[in-house]
Amino acid sequence: MAKTTRREFLIHAAGAAAVGAAGFGPMRARAQDSGPIKIGMIIPLTGTTSQYGTTMSIAAKLAVNDINGAGGVGGRQIEVVIEDDRSNPEAAVRAARKLIDIDKVVAIGGSYASAVTSAIAPLCWESRTVLFTASGADSITRTPHQGYIFRTSPTVTLQGTRVGQFAREIGAKSFFFLGPQTPFAQSYIDIISTIFKEGGGTGGGLIYEEKRASYRTEVDQALRAKPDVVILGGYVPDTGVVLKDLFRAGYAGGRIGFSFGVNQVLAQAIPAEVGEGAYSLVPSASEESTAYKTLIAKMNLPSLNTYSCQMYDHVVLAALALANEPSAPINGTTLRDNVRAISQNRSGQQVFDAAAALKLVAAGKAVNYDGPSGPLEFAENGDVEGVYFRYEQMQKGTMALLKVA
Amino acid sequence: MLIAEVAQYMVNGLVLGALVALPALGLTLIFSVQGFVNFSVAAQMTVGAYAAWAAGAALGWPPILIMPVAFVVPGILGIVADRLALAPVRRRPGAHTPLMLAVVSIALNLALENALHFLFGGDLRSFDLAVERDVSVAGIAMGPQQLRNLATALTIAVTLAAFFSLTRWGKAMRAVADNADLARLKGIEPARLAGLATFIGMGLAGIGGALLAIDTSVDPSTGSRLILIIFAASVVGGLTSLTGAVLGALVVGIVGEVALIVMPPVYQSLTAFVVILLVLLIRPNGLFAAVGVRR
Amino acid sequence: MITYLLFLGTLAGIYAILALGLVVSWGQAGMVNLGLAGFFGLGAYASAILSGAGVPIGLAWCLATLLSAAAGIAFCLLTRTLRGDYLAIVTLGFAEGLRLVETNERWLTGGSDGISGIRAPLKSLLPDAFPSLYLAVTWAVVAVAVVLLARLLRSPFGRALRAVRDDEQVAAVAGKSVMRLKCQAFGIGAALFGIAGAVYAHFTSYIAPDNFGVQITIYIFLAATAGGYSRLVGAVAGALAVMTILEASRLAATAIPGLDAVEIAALREFAIAVALILIIQWRPDGMFRMTNQRAGTRPVARPVAADVHS
Repeated sequence: MAKTTRREFLIHAAGAAAVGAAGFGPMRARAQDSGPIKIGMIIPLTGTTSQYGTTMSIAAKLAVNDINGAGGVGGRQIEVVIEDDRSNPEAAVRAARKLIDIDKVVAIGGSYASAVTSAIAPLCWESRTVLFTASGADSITRTPHQGYIFRTSPTVTLQGTRVGQFAREIGAKSFFFLGPQTPFAQSYIDIISTIFKEGGGTGGGLIYEEKRASYRTEVDQALRAKPDVVILGGYVPDTGVVLKDLFRAGYAGGRIGFSFGVNQVLAQAIPAEVGEGAYSLVPSASEESTAYKTLIAKMNLPSLNTYSCQMYDHVVLAALALANEPSAPINGTTLRDNVRAISQNRSGQQVFDAAAALKLVAAGKAVNYDGPSGPLEFAENGDVEGVYFRYEQMQKGTMALLKVA
Repeated sequence: MLIAEVAQYMVNGLVLGALVALPALGLTLIFSVQGFVNFSVAAQMTVGAYAAWAAGAALGWPPILIMPVAFVVPGILGIVADRLALAPVRRRPGAHTPLMLAVVSIALNLALENALHFLFGGDLRSFDLAVERDVSVAGIAMGPQQLRNLATALTIAVTLAAFFSLTRWGKAMRAVADNADLARLKGIEPARLAGLATFIGMGLAGIGGALLAIDTSVDPSTGSRLILIIFAASVVGGLTSLTGAVLGALVVGIVGEVALIVMPPVYQSLTAFVVILLVLLIRPNGLFAAVGVRR
Repeated sequence: MITYLLFLGTLAGIYAILALGLVVSWGQAGMVNLGLAGFFGLGAYASAILSGAGVPIGLAWCLATLLSAAAGIAFCLLTRTLRGDYLAIVTLGFAEGLRLVETNERWLTGGSDGISGIRAPLKSLLPDAFPSLYLAVTWAVVAVAVVLLARLLRSPFGRALRAVRDDEQVAAVAGKSVMRLKCQAFGIGAALFGIAGAVYAHFTSYIAPDNFGVQITIYIFLAATAGGYSRLVGAVAGALAVMTILEASRLAATAIPGLDAVEIAALREFAIAVALILIIQWRPDGMFRMTNQRAGTRPVARPVAADVHS
């Protein structure tokens, strides 16, 4: 152990020397011992996955205000450093290196696209930085991450299962999946097929190329199978085009999408009659939780996508975990070891409000924080468990809540 | 059954081709007169889409008035961008000026796209136009909006044809497109026509972008949905033939859709690339080019 | 901090190899390769897949380089009788097409999930020294490339190449095999893109189709142009400059008050594009002068030979 410390000291010393030489001005040799505690956020602000970039960064900053307003972590303020991943793993890796080595963040949050998360994950666990991710690909938590990865988004398998079950619930006997080539497209088709077969139903799927100008021919092919329900596996821009083409073709069956494809952003981007009646399953907090309602009120929005809610929770989880063990050094390992103590402490008081939770933790009380994105309980491998889903339906151009389950 | 299927896909391809035709025409026109591939057509399509959206959804103008806006705004912006970014490079002629200009136009494309992202954010916008159900004729379905797109594209193509064959400026431009050296001998200075070619070319891209956005949505990367197909259409048409560009667009559109019968849809863009390769292998001057581009 | 600098240094080295490839094909032979991201990806995937199948890393790098060179030569031959614009469009189409293959052939490439856990030389033996070691390896590749290319370009081959670039007809009349020269240069360029990809794959240990988009092409054109577009050392300096701009713009952008995160990010991308435009506008003089002095097929006294040709 002593050896590691010495090596770390040498690296820090060399680093500080290099910084001085490079003319970056005075530098804190051990950045996280004084000044604000820094948390990095890697968010898609430009590029193809940037539809939620604005609300994601606002939500993260709101979390900072809430935490600092409640006194910060052990009297210290927290700060988020937001970096753009440009929807590109290469840019994300550079951003992560900068956050880890220059800002010396204790955790990186955000991390939306699966390719981005896969690219930065090794950097995080190698540098003992916690990674909170909003990606769904199952493969992410199968990496040797030593507990440094926490995933707040339900896995692809869980989302696919819920969507398949819901499709059967609304009485569908056959389904057709239409989605772009993603790491999970084929998994969705397989999972939903299994669910339908168990109930004597049938179904199939077609994987299309993303960012096409029209999906008429794909829709024609899908409708030839006369499905009771079409499952939309795409992101917002393509899902909008597919819905328009389904509408034009006169399709009258059900349409179910995932939270990344069918949501308020989409509702505003298509004529109301085109999306009318389309369902969406959104990972969510429990019905009695006030966290989500409080957050959208603060942001002055009628509703908010789950990914921005997750950004808020990434910051709050990091702050609460560090506050939980004030005597320990402020670093990624302390953070990792304390997340479950504040997120899923069975004997702790259930709290929906970040500021209230922080005050309780600071007073040495046990809490079980449930945020706007869900109950936030993590399995051994870092996957989120016990998530509720909001079942929403597009009605007259807005997403209406049907039930929480 | 299969025949009906093929016919339906051909109609789908025709509709897509009509959408591609106008930007391809713009690209070809600029190439003919200015002598380089202007990659910024993609961003200018998006500019047209935003201009049309601003006029239609935000100001409440009717569809008939928004198309001229979608033409004029990218047209003028095209000239401004040409003056600021491309003209200084053009002023120092050299053997590689066309390729240098192409490289600059790629950077220009990125700059415009991000300027739009800065101004409007990453949100998706849509037109307040109702989406109409398809009408079915002899078992083949087609949307009224698609029919109107086709009609718009054809009207503009005919108007352009008239402009090129009847007016002095138009004739001069066609002469330059056919053979710049010969035109120069006749006393036409291609550089003088450059501004007009850019205006019309980018304007066409803008209308194409607006039509595309009505079908899809308005966001900073709207134009990039079609860009590869547009290049394919221009190459198939021979890069300097205006008629060729329109026919090339229809060919690439139809081939792409019909190919889905035998090909997985994920590779649809690849058909555009394969068409480019085949044309280059079999008819290097393009399917419809009358005049060679060999040198 | 030091890890960050080592990381950026390695990445800058990879950019330098790419920029060198561009200098050979574009600066010296006048052929635009807009699909350099495709060749970069081809090298990365080839090396990752081969080493994953048990091929030694060194051999995998060589095979990746050869594969990329072969692809480059094939495209050059395909468009041999046409203007350079066609080659530009075909290579652009190739890069897009290859991205589709990388995304969809999941049995081979892992699809859009990418390939993770790519073996890195010596990383398991010397985990702490790995960043510095790999930096050294990368820059050794750069150095070897610069030395070999410098020798090549000073040779009759290099002079013939520049003669072809400056005026193909004159060169053909002078008895040069224009097509052969052009394809050789284009192939060397593609080979460099390929090896850069291989070096990149084993450095980050993770690759995905999104890594090889149009952005990297812009950066490399920026690097090559900033360095004077036909100079070897310039390409290396340009790559370092681009990496500095990319990373420094992070700090600069946050200094602008009153903008939200999305606006800052868009502004940053905008500034990088404008930088490329301005650099091309300012620079062309220098590059033509310097290379014409060396072309050797025409009297050195002739001032700016490029003006003669239209």
